[in-house]
Amino acid sequence: MKKLSLVLLTILFAVGATMAQKSVSGVVTDVSGEPLIGANVVVKGTTTGTSTDIDGSWALSIPNDATVLTFTYIGYSSKDVDISTFSSMNAINVSLSEGEILEEVVVTALGVERSEKALGYAIQEVDADDLVRSGATNAVDALVGKASGIQVTRSSGSVGGGSRILVRGVTSMVGNNQPLIVIDGVRTNNETLLSQASTAGTAASNRLMDLNPEDIESMNVLKGAAATALYGTAGSTGVILITTKKGSSKKDRFAVNFSSSMGFDNITQTVDLQDKYAQGWSGGYDDPSTGSSTSWGPLVSDLEYSTDPSHPNAPAAGAFFADGTYRFDKNGFLVPKGTGNGQAANTYDNVDPFFQTGISNTNSLSVSGGGETATFRLSVSDHRANGIIPNEEYLRKTVKLAAGITPLEGLSINGSINYTKSDYTRVQQGSNTSGLLLGMLRTPATFDNANGFTPEQAVNEVSAYQFPDFRQRNYRGGGGYDNPYWTINNALGFEDVNRTFGNVKADYKVNNWLGFGINVGYDLTSDIRKQEFEINSRTNAGGAVSHDEFNTNQFDNYLTILGGGNLSDDFTLNYLVGANAFSFNNHQQTVDGNGLVFPGFRDISNTTALSAFEVINRFRTLGFYGQVEGGWRNTVYLTVSARQDYDSRLGDPADFQLSNTGFFYPSASLSFAFSELMNTNNGPFSFGKLRLSFAQVGAGPPNPYSTASVYVSPSIGDGWGDNITFPISGNAGFDQSSLLGNPNLTPELSTTLEAGVDLRFFKGRIGLDATVYQRKTVDAILNASLPSSTGYNNVWLNSGEMTSKGIELTVNATPVQSDDFSWNTQVNFTKSSNIVDKLAPGIERLFLAGFNSAGTYLVEGNQYGAIFGGAYLRDNAADWPNLNVPDGNVVINDDPNSPEYGFQAVDPVQRAIGNPNPDFIIGWNNTLSYKRFSLNFLLDWREGGDLWNGTAWALSFFGRSQLTADTREETATPIEGVLSDGSANNIPVTRGQNYWTSSVGGFGAVGEQFVQDGGWIRLRELGLNYRFPAGEILKGGSIGVSGRNLWFKSDYDGIDPETSLTGTGNGQGFDYFNMPSTRSVIIKLSVDF
Amino acid sequence: MKLYFKLFALVLFAGYLSSCENFVGGDINADPNNPIAVPVSAQLPAIQIAMVDLTGGAFSRFNCMLTQQVEGVARQWSSFNQYTGLTPNRFDAAWDNTYENVLNELQTAKANSMADGNNHTLAVCYVMEAYTLMQATDVWDDIPYSEAFKGIEVTSPQYDSQADIYGVINSRLNDAISLFAGPQGPVGPASGDVLYGGDITAWTNAATAIRARAKLHFKDYSGAASDAAAFSSSADNLAFNYPDANAAGQWFRFNRDRTGDLEFHPTMRALMNSTQDTNRLNVMDQTFITDHPYLVADFNQELVTYREMQFIIAEASARGANDQAGYDAYMNGIKASFTRLGLGDAEFNEYITQTGVDPGVGNLTLEGVMTQKYVAMFLQPETYSDWRRTGFPAITPTSGNAVPVRWDYSSGEYLFNASSPAEGSVNVFTDKVGWNQ
Repeated sequence: MKKLSLVLLTILFAVGATMAQKSVSGVVTDVSGEPLIGANVVVKGTTTGTSTDIDGSWALSIPNDATVLTFTYIGYSSKDVDISTFSSMNAINVSLSEGEILEEVVVTALGVERSEKALGYAIQEVDADDLVRSGATNAVDALVGKASGIQVTRSSGSVGGGSRILVRGVTSMVGNNQPLIVIDGVRTNNETLLSQASTAGTAASNRLMDLNPEDIESMNVLKGAAATALYGTAGSTGVILITTKKGSSKKDRFAVNFSSSMGFDNITQTVDLQDKYAQGWSGGYDDPSTGSSTSWGPLVSDLEYSTDPSHPNAPAAGAFFADGTYRFDKNGFLVPKGTGNGQAANTYDNVDPFFQTGISNTNSLSVSGGGETATFRLSVSDHRANGIIPNEEYLRKTVKLAAGITPLEGLSINGSINYTKSDYTRVQQGSNTSGLLLGMLRTPATFDNANGFTPEQAVNEVSAYQFPDFRQRNYRGGGGYDNPYWTINNALGFEDVNRTFGNVKADYKVNNWLGFGINVGYDLTSDIRKQEFEINSRTNAGGAVSHDEFNTNQFDNYLTILGGGNLSDDFTLNYLVGANAFSFNNHQQTVDGNGLVFPGFRDISNTTALSAFEVINRFRTLGFYGQVEGGWRNTVYLTVSARQDYDSRLGDPADFQLSNTGFFYPSASLSFAFSELMNTNNGPFSFGKLRLSFAQVGAGPPNPYSTASVYVSPSIGDGWGDNITFPISGNAGFDQSSLLGNPNLTPELSTTLEAGVDLRFFKGRIGLDATVYQRKTVDAILNASLPSSTGYNNVWLNSGEMTSKGIELTVNATPVQSDDFSWNTQVNFTKSSNIVDKLAPGIERLFLAGFNSAGTYLVEGNQYGAIFGGAYLRDNAADWPNLNVPDGNVVINDDPNSPEYGFQAVDPVQRAIGNPNPDFIIGWNNTLSYKRFSLNFLLDWREGGDLWNGTAWALSFFGRSQLTADTREETATPIEGVLSDGSANNIPVTRGQNYWTSSVGGFGAVGEQFVQDGGWIRLRELGLNYRFPAGEILKGGSIGVSGRNLWFKSDYDGIDPETSLTGTGNGQGFDYFNMPSTRSVIIKLSVDF
Repeated sequence: MKLYFKLFALVLFAGYLSSCENFVGGDINADPNNPIAVPVSAQLPAIQIAMVDLTGGAFSRFNCMLTQQVEGVARQWSSFNQYTGLTPNRFDAAWDNTYENVLNELQTAKANSMADGNNHTLAVCYVMEAYTLMQATDVWDDIPYSEAFKGIEVTSPQYDSQADIYGVINSRLNDAISLFAGPQGPVGPASGDVLYGGDITAWTNAATAIRARAKLHFKDYSGAASDAAAFSSSADNLAFNYPDANAAGQWFRFNRDRTGDLEFHPTMRALMNSTQDTNRLNVMDQTFITDHPYLVADFNQELVTYREMQFIIAEASARGANDQAGYDAYMNGIKASFTRLGLGDAEFNEYITQTGVDPGVGNLTLEGVMTQKYVAMFLQPETYSDWRRTGFPAITPTSGNAVPVRWDYSSGEYLFNASSPAEGSVNVFTDKVGWNQ
């Protein structure tokens, strides 16, 4: 048994054995006759071996004197077969029976395969099948619910919109918190680059979307610091190891796979709007030409149309065309019922019909093959998707070539090259006057954005959204916000991404005790963007064209020396030492052209004012690491590792000292497979292991150049109108950055303690894996706020402290398994909390993202990223010791002279009004198989996690939400609360226009009333698949239909709460006119030849 | 053998250290796009335009909303209009821009000018500092100065009394005037000065005009009148002309990007209608959109004007001699306002025949002067000081019993400056600023 890991290791390097003298072949199946794919066959006591292919067949050249073959398969008992007893060397058919699932080998940091039993920390593998059948085109989305300890949030339903993933919550206060993504041993770029403010602009991708999910062989989630210690700083936020598919080394064997899928996306849910009250103010009707923004007008049922410009209620002359017809509605303008032409006023649904069925089509083809000394796999794919928003588009083409050769015994060289081209057409969203939903949801029920056309027509019908004089046709007479149909035609963003990444890896094994490995990875991304704003855009009235070009290059190189073996019958030893050099360079060049000369030609040559700038972000790290694993009787393993890092971001360019950039940290982990000491042959208990680990990780500053203070070319303004930028009137200008550099920065340090248990019963039919951890981060580097009377806004300081705790639980079970039918089920439970213990001296909170009325902040004593904003005044606010919302009674404004008499009073202190972090996450994944059919479903339960419903907040001001239609009709009643003398409130009020436009309504000082529970239960995946039987030509494949996000339940009052205005950034928990999410149905055919 | 091995290891180690140093060291961590030092001439345009934008932005909007030249009618601005929405965070932008983008920059610019012996550039910095400090202390009363601008060294600067701030203002202005009279030093301020193009006479007059404003606040009317004479025509104005829609004036940008939030105020409309001020109303009282005839993209944002100075002379006269000079100044001020709005002599001559406009020599009243100044100073933040000093024109609070007489401090100060007053301790309705007590 204990030699098995050695044997497996040997296989890795034995593919190219050249001493073969006779051929043998056969098939490996399980006891029911199903072929076992990937079972290992080795000549016992040698390095000669192979593994079975998709039919379970294998072929091998063996020395003439070989007598015994060993067959092994993960989860099955191994079998030694004496081949001298076989008459035919071409039919060595073997069946393996399920055994104790103890000898699993898992891929750990740096791609090193280790016996799972030896691991003193948690690693969870996600199978390629589980990823692919999810139907997700973004590998990050495909991970939802498939492992414990992870949290995935899709930012919006826009095609090409990114997703944020966290492993064990957040680690860094202001830096990146998403895990390191490692593909085939080297780091890959999963960044999200923004061209506009995080609360506005368009959706942005996370770059892992460039990877074709069909190319993924497996994903491993390395959760804790002990698991990621060898990756150093970069791994401090967790690591996701992706292994891509390779060619098979079966002789004369070509495999072809083709798959094609078609997906249909629809909007899930939108916001509940009222269609009872017309555009206007104080119950009076205001027609669109007045520019009125609100729906506080009269009952729609009290209005009718008139086409007579001399009508006493007719709008001003400017509201009519020269021929006297009304500009804004073909039916005419609205007048009180009984005074017009008798045609009752219409109401229009400007929301649901606007969205279309998004259709996507994906085709992938792969060819793989190889022989004893060389393998290859070539894959191409094409994905094209139209969004639910007309004109939104995402196209992705990928080509990947993986090849390997084994020119000498012990030497293997593998490489891969991946090229991806992604094209996006994007639509403006969020908090900007061109934001699609912003203009759409605010439009009063009495205004038809499509001008009488159907939505399909209006998309291509200019007269729906624009007058002949190029002014916009919108509900505010050309002011306010872009008409959604205008936006999707005249304010589009285009993105052209060309990316190539890959690696070359060479391994040379001298003997068991000495092997060398070198792995060189590169990742080059070019992202060219163009954002257009036609003349009369509400964002850029003069029109604008903006070009952004991002080039991101990263190189990641590893040199590793490793080896191991048995020291004695009882002791084993494995070691590894190595070095890693990493370089990152991001180069942004932006040219902004403002003021288009004439409409219809949105090109930089047609602009009258140009400005340009360049941003280069670069850093390098150098790491030296070592790891030693000692094992005793396959029962107790102790692993110790250490790493010394040098990070250029800690260097002071004015006074560079290498020692200032270096830092050291250790880790240790212990695994105790206590079941080895028990007799587990009988009885339900089959395996048990305890894990314990301790690890430290250091990290440099989140951004380069934090060690020096610089001058910048400022943008001037105060947030109400757009800022202006230099050059101005031919002058350049510089001022000191409001962020002070700090040459004395030291690395931040987090220390993690982790304990876990892995229990299996009934020979692995039931498995339970539980982990608890605590991570303490000290000296966290943050941009501590300064009062601006110091002359600056922030300074980089080593001052933060944060404590994270979490529980992770994974239960695997196969409750039913028979010849025809099986049911596999897995539950992943994740609970984590990240408490900010300390910021900087005298600083109680730190801004991350969001708005004035509600933003995400780090607040001392609160969960990471608390939603912070205006609150109602509580009667004990004066004595309340911290920035949380006091637990007292709401105080009612009882000043009869106040316009807000009878409303809630406003606390002058902003408070932590919400926590966007979920209480826990459960993913329940099931597969039911009957013969060749399988049914899978994944339930995703996220409990708690607040969202600030800024959409509802704003719509309450506009009188547009159903809430405001209901409350303006309610009989006056006192709001729950107390008066200034402490007695119960007795001032009856109706929550009508005065209420919702006051400090406690939309755009007011208070944000707390619209903080809502963003938790959900959803049917994340549902799929039905049929597997084709293997035949002469068709070797396999499947046809299936799957659904994503088909159903969810949430208390959130708005769009699907799985949304994030700021995309993949650290500031989560905002909904401000976000793009709604989608549900998808995908039909997929896959065939193998 | 052992020795060789050691030597070999040592050589390897040395080689590794130096390659380490090459790999992560050098200029890798130096920001290639942002310099660590710039000449004052490259800083001046940024400071000056930031200063101008501050006056035309936050100060103009809040001050002129409180004096009811403009009315907040939509979204956040309707709650500001009712005073209820004027929470400390609303003053963050004004405070931050004042301290970070103007005053703090001036400290470096002053130090560099002094080090280089560029006395005229130093004096220009003094004038800008005095102007900005006055604009700030006039709404915030006590503010940090003596301990401010020290970055991480003093993270909670003390608040200096308004009297001390005015002491700084006066000494800066006096020092500037005497420095302007002396040699310029190696390099003058011509390069980078977007306000006067390095015209030292113009700067001297501007310093004197700003001093007139200071003297007026402290009721030194004759001193103010004598300094006010420094400006002899609107050509002397301290002002910046925004170039075009791509770098447009604050009000244009506000009206473009926040259309409908602020509009012309009925109080001002009624006041102007009472003297049949139709021509000026036609220009001012239009919907606040980008087509507004006065609030244009290439706006001339005035900080200190000839007409303001003329009204200072007129006010001093009305309070004292009530002489021909005061009367002339009053009429000059009105006329300059007409010219500023693009109106000609005909409209001016028609207007002064209206009842209550031309009182005749010797008959200036404080109310008459201040009312005309209020109209002539449309959207000039100084209107708020004038109203607080004199109570003219009479203003009815939009809610409650009182109009705020100062601004609250910024939320950033309350949160991050331990030396700031306690949050909630400032009563904006009763806590008058020093010179107003």
